[in-house]
Amino acid sequence: MTVLDPPITSLTNPRPANIAAGAVGVSKIYGSGDTVVRALDDVDVDFVEGHFTAIMGPSGSGKSTLMHCLAGLDTVSAGEIYIGDTDLSGLSERDLTLLRRDRIGFIFQAFNLVPTLSALENITLPMDLAGIKPDQAWLDEVISTVGLGDRTDHRPNELSGGQQQRVAVSRALASRPQIIFADEPTGNLDSTTGAEILAFMRRAVRELGQTIVMVTHDPVAASYADRVIFLADGRIVDELHGPTPESVLDRMKSLGS
Amino acid sequence: MLRLTLRNLAANKARFLMTTFAVVLGVGFVVSSFVMSDGLRSTFGALSEDITAGTDLLVRPTSEFGEPLPLPEDLVTEILAVDGVDNAEAFMESAENELQPIKADGSTITTAGPPQLTFAWNDDTEIGAFTIVEGTAPDEPREFSMDHTAAAKHGFEIGQTYDFVTPLGVEEDFTFVATTSFGADNATVGATLMHVSLAEAQRLFGDPGTVQQIAISVDPGVDAAAVANDIAAVLGTTTAEIVDQATVTAEQKAEFTEGIDIVGNVLLGFAIVSLFVSIFIIYNTFAIVLGQRVREMGLLRAIGADAAQLRRSVVAEAVIIGVIASAIGLAAGVGIAALLTAVFEAVGAELPAYPTILSARTVVLAFVLGIGVTVASSIAPARAAAGISPIEAIRDGAAVTPENGRQRLVRGAMTLLAGVAVGSFGLFGPGLGTLALVLTLGSAAVLVFLGLTLASPAVARPLTAVLGWPVAKLMGTAGGLARGNASRNPRRTATTAAALMIGLSLVTMGYVVGESVKSSLGNLIADSVSADYVIAGMDEAALPPVFADELAASGQFEAVTGMRYDEARLGADVREVTALDMGTIDVLFDIDLEAGSIPASDATDVILLHDELAADLAADVGDTVPIEFVSGHTADLTVAGIYADATIFEDPLVPDQVFDAAGAEVADEWVAAVLPDGVSTADLAPFVAELERTYPQVSIDTASEFQQSFEDTIDSMLLVVNALLALAIVIALIGIANTLALSVHERTRELGLLRAVGMTRRQTRRMVRWEAVLVALFGAVLGVAAGSLFGWGVVSALPADTFGGSLTIPIPQIVQVVVLAAIATLVAAWLPARRAGKLDVLDAIAH
Repeated sequence: MTVLDPPITSLTNPRPANIAAGAVGVSKIYGSGDTVVRALDDVDVDFVEGHFTAIMGPSGSGKSTLMHCLAGLDTVSAGEIYIGDTDLSGLSERDLTLLRRDRIGFIFQAFNLVPTLSALENITLPMDLAGIKPDQAWLDEVISTVGLGDRTDHRPNELSGGQQQRVAVSRALASRPQIIFADEPTGNLDSTTGAEILAFMRRAVRELGQTIVMVTHDPVAASYADRVIFLADGRIVDELHGPTPESVLDRMKSLGS
Repeated sequence: MLRLTLRNLAANKARFLMTTFAVVLGVGFVVSSFVMSDGLRSTFGALSEDITAGTDLLVRPTSEFGEPLPLPEDLVTEILAVDGVDNAEAFMESAENELQPIKADGSTITTAGPPQLTFAWNDDTEIGAFTIVEGTAPDEPREFSMDHTAAAKHGFEIGQTYDFVTPLGVEEDFTFVATTSFGADNATVGATLMHVSLAEAQRLFGDPGTVQQIAISVDPGVDAAAVANDIAAVLGTTTAEIVDQATVTAEQKAEFTEGIDIVGNVLLGFAIVSLFVSIFIIYNTFAIVLGQRVREMGLLRAIGADAAQLRRSVVAEAVIIGVIASAIGLAAGVGIAALLTAVFEAVGAELPAYPTILSARTVVLAFVLGIGVTVASSIAPARAAAGISPIEAIRDGAAVTPENGRQRLVRGAMTLLAGVAVGSFGLFGPGLGTLALVLTLGSAAVLVFLGLTLASPAVARPLTAVLGWPVAKLMGTAGGLARGNASRNPRRTATTAAALMIGLSLVTMGYVVGESVKSSLGNLIADSVSADYVIAGMDEAALPPVFADELAASGQFEAVTGMRYDEARLGADVREVTALDMGTIDVLFDIDLEAGSIPASDATDVILLHDELAADLAADVGDTVPIEFVSGHTADLTVAGIYADATIFEDPLVPDQVFDAAGAEVADEWVAAVLPDGVSTADLAPFVAELERTYPQVSIDTASEFQQSFEDTIDSMLLVVNALLALAIVIALIGIANTLALSVHERTRELGLLRAVGMTRRQTRRMVRWEAVLVALFGAVLGVAAGSLFGWGVVSALPADTFGGSLTIPIPQIVQVVVLAAIATLVAAWLPARRAGKLDVLDAIAH
């Protein structure tokens, strides 16, 4: 299957200004000889600024690998990864770390927070690590948008699971990164709390202009995104705009068969 | 279950390696103390037998008290005439280093370490135990021989002449006539053994016509006991006794063993400290590793293992670790003994060669201690881990339920108070014997340490927060996180820090006591001594009798007196009495006279008493006190004055004339001298230098040098103590690194998160290292506090008029030690920090 629809398909260099991150001909191969596994197989994809994209696919489809490669957590076997117009393949470990710190936000499924730091300290952690002062106005806006209120002095173990994820979302937003990667951010939450978090993420995109890429296997979660990319066997097999839970589920069913 | 135990050990090799290391060092230290003392005992045991091998009977003078008078030389001939006596030889032995040959290069053989001894030569190789290797026996005046090992070592050549330092001053041109061998192997254990003729021995370190002892061999097949009876008849009115070979050998051995036992026990004491420290580390490792295995334990419980089985499985792990560590520790002990021997040699206390003896006692003790310590440390964690419910454990995030914090604090405080109470009893209670005192204070220290360890988690959070404040300020986010990590698990921090606390508290105590004694002595000396010079023989050797007279005759000093000691019966008891030039007391010392006056130099048959002694004797100024000397000489002395300051003199003081009349000790122990007004010690430096050339065995110190030499002695003692404590501190640092490695492992996901959101490797390493430093500083603060408390206790218990009185906390030294410990911790934490920095981010997140 081919990649569908502009405006996402431009592969020329220099990179278009409105692309937050992209993969060009990316393959990821584990093992060698008989045991070789192609986790990603010649993937081309771009993520436009100000959009909320979900990556879906069955277990082993390569969706997490794709996200890890995009986020500079993993290296690719072939192809190029871009954050903005930075090609990640040439970067050292240290530069990758600094890139993650300064230009990428993360939301994990669980264990998002450092237990010895308060909620607020967790939120400002990437900027503290960089030794830069957070933009107070933006920070206040993020915290009020996410609805943490007066709980910013609490330690993670004094917060509910939903509150912890809100802190994680705030942290990802706080440094105004070029792009935020979320790995099953609601996987550990009940559906009501999960819905709240997803609504926050959507508001962050719509109201604060952020770019979010989320890996999920939950059609309901995916339906909060502007666009859904489907992966199977390391390839992008389908794409959906303006998803609903039902339309996502239909696509998933067709992929699974 | 056993298979599981073994698998667990195999899977956690790295984690247990460090634990093993702590036990190995502790056990190794214990073993080394036994290896050294057993080996030395064996060497000196053999030496004792060599010395007495040819002597069947020994006649030696006795006295009711004090140093006995020598035997008349004629007695030798009389004993030779007794039936059954094969041979009898006069025995003469100099005091240690009393005679010192001067080498070709003008220097003397160093007097630290094994002694230089000179004997009267006799040709009977059985009794004398010496044979000539080369040359002829020393039988003329100014001839000497030396054992061939020392002669070769120090470059003495037969036929050459050498000068000698003697109690009479330096004598020139002694001809070196022979090299000798002591027994077959010349097993001198490092001593320098020399001989001169009997007449020379009498002249140089005896009295004409007298001998110290008479060694006797009996005819073959004759009963020595029967001969002894016949000799007793010859002794007549001479106060002397006859002892047999077995008695002499046993006494000789006991004399040697006493010193070895002291060294062995001191080493053992430090070894036990190391072992005690390692208990905390083993305990911590077990607690953390089991905490991490809670889910596995829960699973085992769920599929049917009961709590007792789990407990046994953990204890079995401990036993296996204990066995392995003890075996390695046994081997390490031999190495540590060699290392300690080298250290002794490096600081100038050369030990003789000794065989490596691993006695059954040592082996058994190594295993008992190694296994015992490991198993004992594993029991509490094993119980806690086995006590969790299966469901709790399997559920994510379950942890071993920590004990109630308040309860723990209360128990800790009570243990601490019990320790302080026991310690106070030991220090201030009724006088205990040495062993009882050591045991009392030892258990007090153990109680204090346990109490502090139990109670300290309560302060771990605030204290590490305070200590971490500058770190957080200076080291940025990594520092802040380090501070948070150090205080997140107060119990772990407290236990980890406990090991360092123990080591540093003992170091601190040493410094506090040492510095306090120094300053007390300094004050006391400044108060009580107005002499400009304090002169003593090197290595406590007595001074040449002529020395004080020569100084006085030199005209360089306003006042000079020698101080000599002997025993005498005063009233009902035998006491040490000091003889000196009474007329100089006022100028040289301040003895704080309470009553009477200080007699003039020419006063006769007078005595000055310390006020306590005066009270004991119920003597007042003007009363007479009867005195009786070893020689039997008696006199009635008039009490001229009573003094209060016991810093320099506690003994009764008599004029030189009293000793001279009684034939008491002639050699001065030390000499004090004061310069006339307007003359400085700098002015006198050339004179002093010349004097030191004439009497190389004499150390001439100005008052400040004298005080300095006291301080140097204390400093070198502290150095030895700190060197021995270093092992305990090394174990503690290993413990910190170990705990840190386990914590890093435990926090893998957290580290992954930090790395994912942009913490650099360098920041990660810095975070881990500074956490270690904060834990170490926490231990150091507690250790310094506890050590100061101990030091205060000891100083308070010391007699105020000699060593005690003023408490000094030497802050610069303590700060230095704490900083050193922190730096060492940074080094120790290098490995876990590197591991934390190298974690693969993806693996860590997925962990």
